[in-house]
Amino acid sequence: MITDVVSAVLMLAGALSCLLGALGLVRLPSLLSRLQAATKPQTLGLFLVLAGTALRVDLKSAATLLLVGLFQVITAPVISQIVGRSVHRSGGVRPEVLVVDELAEERPQDRPS
Amino acid sequence: MKVSSVVWLTLVWVLLWGTFTPLTLVGGVVVAVLVLWVARQAPSTDRLPVRPLRLLALVGYLVYDLLVSGAEVSWQVLRHGPRACGAIISVPLLTSSERVVTLMASALSLAPGAMALEIDHDAGVWYVYALGPRGASDVERTWLRTMDVQRRVLATFGTPEELARVRRLIEERVA
Repeated sequence: MITDVVSAVLMLAGALSCLLGALGLVRLPSLLSRLQAATKPQTLGLFLVLAGTALRVDLKSAATLLLVGLFQVITAPVISQIVGRSVHRSGGVRPEVLVVDELAEERPQDRPS
Repeated sequence: MKVSSVVWLTLVWVLLWGTFTPLTLVGGVVVAVLVLWVARQAPSTDRLPVRPLRLLALVGYLVYDLLVSGAEVSWQVLRHGPRACGAIISVPLLTSSERVVTLMASALSLAPGAMALEIDHDAGVWYVYALGPRGASDVERTWLRTMDVQRRVLATFGTPEELARVRRLIEERVA
């Protein structure tokens, strides 16, 4: 009973976090900011859902869930860095939503023409 | 080919199958050797120090950070939405070890609304994007936060000299 409640709370919190991430994809103004919404609340949401699931399944399957979480943590930052760097190099950054851009000051050739 | 890599990849393989039988174990070793042979790399010269307590503290901080980070990004989405601002700032890079840089970039990318954008080894600088800053004081706070992540990673994996340098830089900036 208690396990069910804890598991449900974790899963719902995770789903909420994923929903907020999805909302960020729609609402945020630039690729770089959307990238934050796509990676952070999603990672947190996935962890919460995995934790909720782990409480409901046997230990053997829970080990696989651990692997899912681990791969998420390893891959998400790498991908977001590659995408972010590419967009900056190709001049896809919107300067009007940046308070300061010290990378563009350093490398003016990155500026969109 | 390092034994630790083979053991790690075999463990992943066994976990993926979800069953521990002689077949998955042998299959795991075969696959691990094959993968490491295909993706051969030059042996890295730098060894990471082992500091279990510091590592545990770092993992604990990252979990806490992930919670705060999720909440902060969500707040930006709900509060500012299409008018959310960001900043790209340069932060000194205090280690020459490729592995530590990779770990640092990954650790930062879990932190509140921030990620490593570009790493310039030659200039010893990395560029960090952060979601949220709306003025100079926010930018300053982002700088300090990034340096704090760097300090924690260097405390776990760096040399004492690197750690001392990052501490000094933070103190100078605050003062």
